[in-house]
Amino acid sequence: MREAKSKGKNELLPGTLEMLVLKTLSIESMHGYGIAQHIQMLSADVLTVEEGSLYPALQRMLVKGWVSAEWKTSANNRRARFYKLTAAGKKQLGIEESRFSQVSGAIMRVMKTT
Amino acid sequence: MGSVLRRLLFFFQRDRFDRDLDDELRFHAEMKAHAIADADGLSGDEARAAARRRIGNPLRLRERSREPWLSLAVEAFVQDVRHALRLLRRDPAFAFTALATLALGIGLNTALFSVAYGVLWRPLPYSSPDRLVMLSSAQQTDKGVKTFSTWAPVSYEALRRRVTALEDLAAYASIEVPLTGRGEPQQVSALDVSPNFFATLGVAPVRGRTFLTGAGAPDDERSAIISDRLWRTSLEGDPAIVGQTITLDGLPRTVVGVLPPDFSFRPVVRNGALPEPDIFLPNRWPGDTGRSAFLWLLGRMKPGVTLARVESELAALVNDASVVPGGALGMEGALAPNVRTIARAVGLQEYGTESVRALLLILLGAVSCVLLIACVNVANLQMARLSARRGELSVRMALGAGRRRIVRQLLTEAVVLSLLGASIGVMLAKLAIAVTLPLVPQLALPRLGGIVIDGRVMAFCLALSLVSTLLIGLVPALRVSGAAFGEELALHAGEGRTTGDRQGERLRTLLVAAQIAMTLILLVGAGLLIHSFVRLTSVSPGFDSSGRDGVVQTVKVTLPERLYDRPERIQAFARGVLDRIQYLPGVKSASLINSAPFGRMFIRSDFSIEGQPKPTLDAGRPKIEAGYFTTMGIPLLAGREFTAGDTAGSPNVAIVSERIVREYFPGGPAEALGRRVRIGDRGEWRTVVGVAADIRQMGLDQAVQPMLYVPFQQERDEVFVLRFVSFVVRTATPASVAEGIRAEIRRAAPDLPIQATVTMDEAVAASVAPPRFRMWLLALFAMAATLIATCGIYGLMAYAVTQRRREIGVRMALGADRRDVLRLVLMRALRIVVAGVVVGLAGAAGVTRVLQRFLFGVTPTDPIAFATVTLLLMAVGLLAAWLPARRATRIDPVRALRAE
Repeated sequence: MREAKSKGKNELLPGTLEMLVLKTLSIESMHGYGIAQHIQMLSADVLTVEEGSLYPALQRMLVKGWVSAEWKTSANNRRARFYKLTAAGKKQLGIEESRFSQVSGAIMRVMKTT
Repeated sequence: MGSVLRRLLFFFQRDRFDRDLDDELRFHAEMKAHAIADADGLSGDEARAAARRRIGNPLRLRERSREPWLSLAVEAFVQDVRHALRLLRRDPAFAFTALATLALGIGLNTALFSVAYGVLWRPLPYSSPDRLVMLSSAQQTDKGVKTFSTWAPVSYEALRRRVTALEDLAAYASIEVPLTGRGEPQQVSALDVSPNFFATLGVAPVRGRTFLTGAGAPDDERSAIISDRLWRTSLEGDPAIVGQTITLDGLPRTVVGVLPPDFSFRPVVRNGALPEPDIFLPNRWPGDTGRSAFLWLLGRMKPGVTLARVESELAALVNDASVVPGGALGMEGALAPNVRTIARAVGLQEYGTESVRALLLILLGAVSCVLLIACVNVANLQMARLSARRGELSVRMALGAGRRRIVRQLLTEAVVLSLLGASIGVMLAKLAIAVTLPLVPQLALPRLGGIVIDGRVMAFCLALSLVSTLLIGLVPALRVSGAAFGEELALHAGEGRTTGDRQGERLRTLLVAAQIAMTLILLVGAGLLIHSFVRLTSVSPGFDSSGRDGVVQTVKVTLPERLYDRPERIQAFARGVLDRIQYLPGVKSASLINSAPFGRMFIRSDFSIEGQPKPTLDAGRPKIEAGYFTTMGIPLLAGREFTAGDTAGSPNVAIVSERIVREYFPGGPAEALGRRVRIGDRGEWRTVVGVAADIRQMGLDQAVQPMLYVPFQQERDEVFVLRFVSFVVRTATPASVAEGIRAEIRRAAPDLPIQATVTMDEAVAASVAPPRFRMWLLALFAMAATLIATCGIYGLMAYAVTQRRREIGVRMALGADRRDVLRLVLMRALRIVVAGVVVGLAGAAGVTRVLQRFLFGVTPTDPIAFATVTLLLMAVGLLAAWLPARRATRIDPVRALRAE
């Protein structure tokens, strides 16, 4: 069902959303909307982050202790929940990055050979 | 581990989680709406709607955000529980044994806790019950502390007016009144109360009102408040009962109130409780002379006042002769002169429960022991299974299951076992209470109404299962997490024929020995009570309650004061009935007494012997008719019985008991004949015409009391003591004769309720019912413990034999015969049993002191009880080991060796 809905848009590879969120948060702590905006902007609107995936992913990362959350005042003076990378999160980002570069490198190699 | 903690936290903060998520999503939606409004130029509302559409169903979003918190923990737990259940199903013998022992242990504990809680700790059903106190006075004399539980009305009035530490002070006296005019006449338990009784308790009737307390309330003199029970039964729940009259003791009384259904007040006396009263009558005890103390005082302390303050204030008042006249405290002559009187204030809840409290705590200790033994058994079984499951566990560990995961699995198994055991246990407890409560000797427990299995008892049961979980789960779990286990696992996986899990076996042996020790302590306790009971019941009551010429049947009535106000009336009634029942078919002989032995009634006072210094002992003074000793089967040692000729007009005579002769007539029974005695200091002199053998008046465990029998027909003054009439008849057909006596009584006095119809055998049996009940309870617990411990020994030895098959095979191959093998196994079992017994004996010698007050004729270190149960336990232990030992002898050495 979920897959059917998001067809037509550019889908993320499984597992990459968490990596992207971790990467985003490694720059600065941010609220959920900000994270989505940030990813969309930097990918030049190629990657859209669905709310239905983003918030469960954030919760998952909270459970695993990769990020921590805190209520703060946003730039436009509103109360928002800001997520921050933890030490475990930083470590996890490193793991995901190296794994991603391995996988993407491998995919590239496969695609190049004709 | 951190994630587990965070999840746990989540469980307690679910509301906050939902709030946070909602806030967060609302913020997100608004930000998005802004963005849409800016980009597409939509109005605020349209933009918000568009944003909501794009975000999708918020409920599902919330669900999915929650999932990460729940799934992992729950999934693992469910998985563990499933696994545990699967294991239980796969091993039904283990499942049955473990569950049965646990259910027994937890069930017994739950049942007993519900009784102990209901009797000792459940708050009484009155307002602020912790402020209610019972007052008594006491004197410290050289003979010890003498307590006076009751007060004279003059003292009560004086105290009530002066005492400042109490908000209210009420008085009551337990009585019985005949209720007539509503169906069959019946004797009803009642309470004479001061008008402020219900105000002091803080209880109000559900219908009508309470008694008027003001000075201008004389209208209330003829009123009554009744219990819900009486209203529903005898008065058929008449909705218009308030304002109607009922006939009590031959007089009309107006019902002014009906108490709530859950109201309960049980007058507590020294060693138990009286029946719950159904009728409450206001009384101000006018015309009291202060010579007799019969009121119980119930006070309500002011908030913040301590018991000590009440006691010190009361003591000051009690010792002031201008407030409380001397002699108004105890019975005449009981109060020692020139000794300061102490005042006692005891919480209503604690009052009179000392004996029951001790018993219940002992029994609780006993059943905790049973539970402990049960847990040890299950832990032991688990350990044995663990050894057998080493293969499975090492595979799981090899596949990457962490040690922690395995421990958690074992603990989950323990949780599953405990909770299942506890559920069965609660059902058992319910059953046990339903079956046992009716068997509890009447009046042995001060409160029965509070005994129910409710939330608090369930919480206790849950706590027990938690404890048993820890006991069952932790021991095996510790074994697994111990370093050695992993190595053994590795070894085990490679090599198929280890000699067994040595360390585990040692631990199990220790546990079984501990079981034996605890079982022995329980058995010793039961043995002591049994021996004590045997001693008690071998005491002769002094009369022949059942013999070749039939049993003694008694029928008791209490003649109402108002109709029988003169001795002659009572004597005429008694004589008339007695004359007729003598000729009933089946009656061998008949007589009557005003205070039948074992009948909870005993009137005694000081007496004098002509020409001798005043005796220090008090004597019982029953009034009896002719033929009493013949009927009761009490031997006469000298002289004659009373006859029909000993009437009001004939010379005053008396019969003394053996004890009086022993104390005061060194020349023996013959010396007493012809001497003169009298009751008190002022009564008429009576010539001793006979000496009767001693009897036990109050109970088999009570000392023999001196007795001074007087002819019923010769009592001229004391109407009060004559009003209680017990007809006694010797007959071989007690049932039909009792019916005949009742018919004769009804003929003579149609409105007279018949109180009790019992044989003397039944009366004696009823008097030993509490010790018998105690004995059975403890014996039952000890038997349960023995059964469980026997299973423990059997299990251990059976397992050991299986483990050592090869060794035994080798021995047999090398020439050991069956007898050697049998001895090998039995000696091993014997060593364990003896070790347990030695520790148990030491423990028992230490703790049986708590039984002291329940023992009769045996000491807490009674060698007979100790020796008997020790032999019994050793025999049972060896028997349990014998079965596996016999199996060991049947091992075929060839097959045992080849099997490896």
